[in-house]
Amino acid sequence: MGNDQSAKTAGRQPLPQMFGLLSGNEMAALAAKHINFHIMGYYPITPSTEVAENLDEMKAFGEHDIRMIPGDGEHGAAGICYGATLGGGRVFNATSANGFLFSLEQYPVQSGTRFPMLLNLVTRAVSGPLDIKGDHSDLYMALNTGWIILLARSPQAVYDMNIMAVKIGESKDVRLPVIVAYDGFFTSHQKRRVSFFTDKQFVQEFIGKYEPPYTALDPEHPITFGPYMNDPDLINNKKQLSLAMDAAYARLPEVFSQYASISGREYHLLETYRMEDAEYALFILNSSYDTAKDAVDDLRKQGKKVGIVSPGVIRPFPYREVASTFRHVKGLCVADRADSYGANGGNMTLEIKAALKDDPDNRTRVISRIYGLGGKEFFIEDAVKLLEEAIAAGDGKQVKLFEYHGINPGTPGYGMKTAISPVGRTDVTGQVSAQVDQQTGRVTDVKGVNAQLLSMVPKRVVPGHGACPGCGIFSNLNIFFKGIEGDVVVLFHTGCGEVVTSGYPYSSHRITYIHNLFQNGAPTLSGLVEMMEEKIKRGELPQDKRITFVMVSGDGGMDIGMGPAIGTALKGHRLILLEYDNEGYMNTGDQLSFSTPLGHDTSTSHAGPYQKGKRTHHKDTAQIMAACHVPYVATVAESNYSDMIKKARKAQEYSREGFVYIKALSLCPLSWRSEEQIGERIIATAVDSCFFPLYEVDHGKTKITYDPELKGKKVPVIEWLKLMGKTKHLTKPENKDIVEAFQKEVDRRWLRIKAMHESPYL
Amino acid sequence: MAAAKQLLPTKNKSGFYEIRMESIGGLGANLAGKILAEAGVLGMGLNGVNFASYGSEKKGTPVKSFVRFSEPDFEIRSNSPVEEPHILVIFHEKMITTHVLTQGVGKDGIVIVNTSRTPDQMRDALRLYAGTVICVDAIRIAVEEKVKLNTTLLGTIAKASGFVDKDALKSAIAETFKKKYPQIIDANIRAFERGYSEFTGKTFAPDGRYEYVPFSRSVPDLGYENAPIGGVILNPGNSVQKDLSASRTGHIPLFIKDKCTSCGECEITCPDYCFVWESGVDKHGRPKRILLGIDYQFCKGCMKCVEICKFDALKKDIEASFDVGAITVKHREFALK
Repeated sequence: MGNDQSAKTAGRQPLPQMFGLLSGNEMAALAAKHINFHIMGYYPITPSTEVAENLDEMKAFGEHDIRMIPGDGEHGAAGICYGATLGGGRVFNATSANGFLFSLEQYPVQSGTRFPMLLNLVTRAVSGPLDIKGDHSDLYMALNTGWIILLARSPQAVYDMNIMAVKIGESKDVRLPVIVAYDGFFTSHQKRRVSFFTDKQFVQEFIGKYEPPYTALDPEHPITFGPYMNDPDLINNKKQLSLAMDAAYARLPEVFSQYASISGREYHLLETYRMEDAEYALFILNSSYDTAKDAVDDLRKQGKKVGIVSPGVIRPFPYREVASTFRHVKGLCVADRADSYGANGGNMTLEIKAALKDDPDNRTRVISRIYGLGGKEFFIEDAVKLLEEAIAAGDGKQVKLFEYHGINPGTPGYGMKTAISPVGRTDVTGQVSAQVDQQTGRVTDVKGVNAQLLSMVPKRVVPGHGACPGCGIFSNLNIFFKGIEGDVVVLFHTGCGEVVTSGYPYSSHRITYIHNLFQNGAPTLSGLVEMMEEKIKRGELPQDKRITFVMVSGDGGMDIGMGPAIGTALKGHRLILLEYDNEGYMNTGDQLSFSTPLGHDTSTSHAGPYQKGKRTHHKDTAQIMAACHVPYVATVAESNYSDMIKKARKAQEYSREGFVYIKALSLCPLSWRSEEQIGERIIATAVDSCFFPLYEVDHGKTKITYDPELKGKKVPVIEWLKLMGKTKHLTKPENKDIVEAFQKEVDRRWLRIKAMHESPYL
Repeated sequence: MAAAKQLLPTKNKSGFYEIRMESIGGLGANLAGKILAEAGVLGMGLNGVNFASYGSEKKGTPVKSFVRFSEPDFEIRSNSPVEEPHILVIFHEKMITTHVLTQGVGKDGIVIVNTSRTPDQMRDALRLYAGTVICVDAIRIAVEEKVKLNTTLLGTIAKASGFVDKDALKSAIAETFKKKYPQIIDANIRAFERGYSEFTGKTFAPDGRYEYVPFSRSVPDLGYENAPIGGVILNPGNSVQKDLSASRTGHIPLFIKDKCTSCGECEITCPDYCFVWESGVDKHGRPKRILLGIDYQFCKGCMKCVEICKFDALKKDIEASFDVGAITVKHREFALK
């Protein structure tokens, strides 16, 4: 790090700063540390997750005081943030794409009741099909939420905009929440040379003290927050919000200018490049702006009078600056990184056209191009092409008013190599048989579990999937499916299992497979089950049609999806929910889930001098599901594969009656930081330590199916913790109390299961 | 600014000196890119940017890490991947059989490969048009120093570049590890020093032996005119076309048939479904299954099967000692239609 000599002064000498090489997400976290928010409510979602991860790591090393609270989903995270803002402090969040949409209903609540906070929206394509890369389809959903929206086109701008956002949003005549939006991966993950203040005190002085007009933490002055407000009142509340946006429009240039005087970096409502005499222009958001500058330089060399414009803010929309900037421009191409399907232009196109229409003298010809969806790269040549189209439009040539740029029709005549034959119904019948008591309907025994002979069961998931070496998901799926007979339809919610088996245009699924989003797997599959049953009832499917429906959950899906899963269980939908519990959100890079055990080190529960890993005990999902009084609940482990296969077969029988929940403890060598080779032993030790007891709850009756005490194999939990990197710190003497607390909780739960095993009533 | 001393020995037409690292997730290319960029920007005063190929990269899958340097006051605008690198670094030799890595490497290019082979052998293996090939046995050095191989390769990069300051890089390495892993700094510095000196290099002129391979941006065969509506995949199980053998990092599970009892536990534990069986009958005429071997196309080398085998019929061995193609038993169950 060195002093930033290049910072340009604007009026007075900027305050001392230093250099770093940091990404947008790191800069958002650094700004948050300097602002020292009271609360961060968050939920991990790519590509925004690193913001919380970085802050959590700083917290473990005592670098800030922000209280970090993981939500049970983005909707919950937004609720945490809202509640925290009611307390009159500074609040922070970061999200992306479907996380933003999942919490969408909360944003108008935040703005309509006028509580400022800061949300970093790390822009990413909204799912359907799922795409984790950057575009602006989430950002455009934010346009009508009543939040101020600042855009940050570089890691430097992320830091600067975050600081300015606090000051703008908290201004007395504004009082609105603020989004700072920056491009997923392009800005969030690229490390660039940046400058930041050497002392967080400079930031504190710039933003000043937050003085909320009222708080919910002042019982001496009771206040009703969020009344029931119908007509004729709501419209007036919204007029107030509209006036606040006007106030923000007036306030923004002031704050930009004040910030320039302390930082040496000046931002504008519209950034322009070579627009002074430009006759043709490109309007484009965020990271693409810098790339397009090179295209402008190239075309200028050819004598073309071109320029580019990129907004620093889109709510309030800088319509006056738009009108004046484009007044003399003949041809304008507005490039939108998201479509407003059916509107004949992306949202920016529509808003610019509207702004220009208010200027009676304007003659600019505006064309709309949709580009870069789903993270498709934007090269200089792309910008050249878009500018050339602006030139053609401005010169009165015939060009399409609206089109997608950078699309590919596909190779004519290309036939995708069909793959392997599907799994026939009879291919997997008769290997493992269940004996059912005809009177009670209960499964009394399962026969035919023989590892050698079961090698003939065709794989429903096939090789070629891209999981990490030693991944537990695929051992579990293979073992579990050996116990399932006949036709199966699977649904995977978002997670590692989904991502590594369905990367377009390849599928590792040999049976019908469905994906839906992280929180919504169980309801989705229940809808399909009900459709089958209704079609059978109407005679649209044969009466003997039998499909076993298996929802595969994991990577913490039973946090965000717990409510919907419980609802599905309580309604008795006939399906199996199989959870591979790898104790974290592994697909987004190992953040804590509620089933992460006490003291375990994850990327949002770092172990360090000031924080010792996760603060709470692991969630007991099997008992939660058992409390729904469904026909069958069981825990399984790959180390006890015969037990798993038997339970799978039972699960299948009982899924004809109602909802079944199965939980497997599932290896994640990458995030557990464990040796791949000893994976099976790690699971076996977790089972033998009674951290993960193997049992079933068959119509309310608990039965331990493997008792390490009876086998003389019970070991203390430390024997399990020793085998993994994520718990290495727990083997040190100074963390003995954490291990003791963990052991105590494991023992308590084990004794409880034993008591349930022994009693017919528990 | 024109008078300012130029810190970079050469630049492309956009004003950059560019490095592309080709690796397998888990080998530390991402971190190497970060350390290199920090050395350049924070240690040497260059402007620079570092990023990696994005996506759901898992351990064992191909990844790229990019570093782009410019003179100190030059504005870096591009955020697109490095297509024509001055230095190409190949972290895992095995990748060259499954991927064309040398795209965009010109006659002035430098290719650094983690290999025990010679530059002449590597040039042929890479089918390299021209340029300098530098071979460093980084995996051996890393194993000996008990570190990841990225710091060894950083040493070689520093030397090969001719401009990256050695001390700046060593400081960047120390800075990277000091917070969480201070105990491994010394070993990494030793590995760095060895990478800096223990290599062999040779420059090849464009002698016509191999064609120049320009960078090509891949265009998928499926597009808006021929892709099934709604993004569905109509080809069940077509991932069997993928070759995952580059996920292994030097070892294979070796099947010793004489010792095998066909108990089936390897098949139970294997996450990548590599074990190939056939049906038969036992001496009583009852159905029996016989394990034939391993389909190495899918084996990622986790060695869970080696651990679980009670009969020593599977053993961890050095991949380079075998002709893996010859000992592979192909899955017939997954034959393409």
